[in-house]
Amino acid sequence: MSRRRISALVGHEVRLLTRDPLPIMILVVFPLLLMSFLKPTFALALTAHGYPGANGAEQVVPGEAVVNGFYIVGMTSFAFFAEYGWNTWDRLRASKATSPEVILGKALPLLVVSIAQFLIILTLGVPLFQLHSRGPFLALAPLVVAFATCLVMLGVMITALCRTIQQVSAVAMGGLVLFGALGGALVPIEVIPRWARAIAPVTPTYWIMRGFRSVILDGHGLTAVALPCCVLLGMSLVFAAVALRRFRFSDAKVSF
Amino acid sequence: MQSGVGMLDVQQCSKAYGPHQALDAVDLEVGAGEITALLGRNGAGKTTLVSIVAGLRHADAGRVLIGGIDASTDPSRARANLGLAPQETGVYPTLSCRDNLRVFAGLAGLGRREMRVAIDELAESLGLTDLLERRAKELSGGERRRLHTAIALVGHPSLVLLDEPTVGADIQTRAQLLRVVRDLARDGAAVVYSTHYFPEVAELEASVVILERGHVCARGSIDEVIAEHSVGAVELVFEGPAPDLERLAPAGAITTSGQRVLIRTNDPSSTTAAVLAGLDNYAVNLRGLTVSQPSLETAFLQLTEEPATNTIGATAYVA
Repeated sequence: MSRRRISALVGHEVRLLTRDPLPIMILVVFPLLLMSFLKPTFALALTAHGYPGANGAEQVVPGEAVVNGFYIVGMTSFAFFAEYGWNTWDRLRASKATSPEVILGKALPLLVVSIAQFLIILTLGVPLFQLHSRGPFLALAPLVVAFATCLVMLGVMITALCRTIQQVSAVAMGGLVLFGALGGALVPIEVIPRWARAIAPVTPTYWIMRGFRSVILDGHGLTAVALPCCVLLGMSLVFAAVALRRFRFSDAKVSF
Repeated sequence: MQSGVGMLDVQQCSKAYGPHQALDAVDLEVGAGEITALLGRNGAGKTTLVSIVAGLRHADAGRVLIGGIDASTDPSRARANLGLAPQETGVYPTLSCRDNLRVFAGLAGLGRREMRVAIDELAESLGLTDLLERRAKELSGGERRRLHTAIALVGHPSLVLLDEPTVGADIQTRAQLLRVVRDLARDGAAVVYSTHYFPEVAELEASVVILERGHVCARGSIDEVIAEHSVGAVELVFEGPAPDLERLAPAGAITTSGQRVLIRTNDPSSTTAAVLAGLDNYAVNLRGLTVSQPSLETAFLQLTEEPATNTIGATAYVA
């Protein structure tokens, strides 16, 4: 692996992202808009489930950050598919860059975007929605990094498995809603049916929400997020392994 | 590069797509400073061959040596200095021309200063200087095509693969591209240039490889291919049945069909003079005369099994 080539690819991906900043802006603006009218509902739900002092921000701020954070999955995959649409994929393949370098060069900037999205939303959640955490905010950092890694790896895996951009779009949007609901990000996990709660741990959203809640609502620290972080990183490894196994750079894919 | 070895040496390369044999035991050698024009009909195997050399497709059989290095055993070292302009225009529409060039210069290993110099020089030679800060999506088709080719050249490659680089280009763009390709070869690069435009081959003074259904059916300099595979033709069209002109040309060189007589000859000018002088009374019935000189195009048409048409001959119609 060449650091120079990876940095050339990272710089290139950053330029592509900044030339079309709307998707990144939506990553932050959308959840903030949703939080403003969902917060009162979640205040009632949390109060009813044993958190009498909760104002709703404890669920809605991390929950909406997680749900909307899922857009990174689609954005990661689109970053690859766009190359097919622009006929530049073969140019990258014919360059000195190796396959792992291309994947890293594309994934790293999106990982940073994903982490930044969480940091911005959680930070703005404090003054805008009176988000208070009983545990240390710093304990959320490893969770965010592990979840962002998991999302980006999921995006790479979807790229490896899907043949068309329509498939990517359907899988990414379906995953967003399904994982968001199952994992307790769209609504508090207590309100979903018992059978759904039983299968929730297969979703990455379950683990990050579990970590968020144990710090924000239950007042735990770094030790409480260790297991969710490990599971999320484990999922990332599985996604990466599938991606490595199935990603064929020579595959023909259909973009827009 | 190892001494005494061509920059590109394709040996017995074969590739099939299902039942379709796209390439069949193709050999191709291109030395440093040499331009080789790949000619062939659509589907003849040109793009497949270019793709295999570029590492975009794997050959079913055969070897590709680049600078003496086997591309199948050490692909990254073999293709470390390769520039490719695929057939389809491939640029980043939302990025400026400079940023389009920057990424591939970076991947080729150019440092910041080298990169700036390379981009500026290339932009100047391809008439892109005033467009460097403009987004690729705002360029015209010809400008985009120039940028597309510039991307292939920005890393100072020693082997350049250009797959129909002038398709859709206007006359100015074509002239600029051809000049840059000639300069590249003069500076020592080996160039594989796939095209359907025969005048470009002569302008580039390229050697020629003609592919037909995955086989190399001719190779050599333009003159060699013409001498070996092209004959001229004289075609006469008469009012009423064509006369018997067998006495005016060697046996087998004349084909008569209704009102038309086709005479194949290596010296169409002398044959025309002899035929016109020998027509006697039939001269008044002559309605059309077409003279085709031996050329790369007629060689190509004969090799690729098209009927010998008179597409480039001088035609005279007699009132």
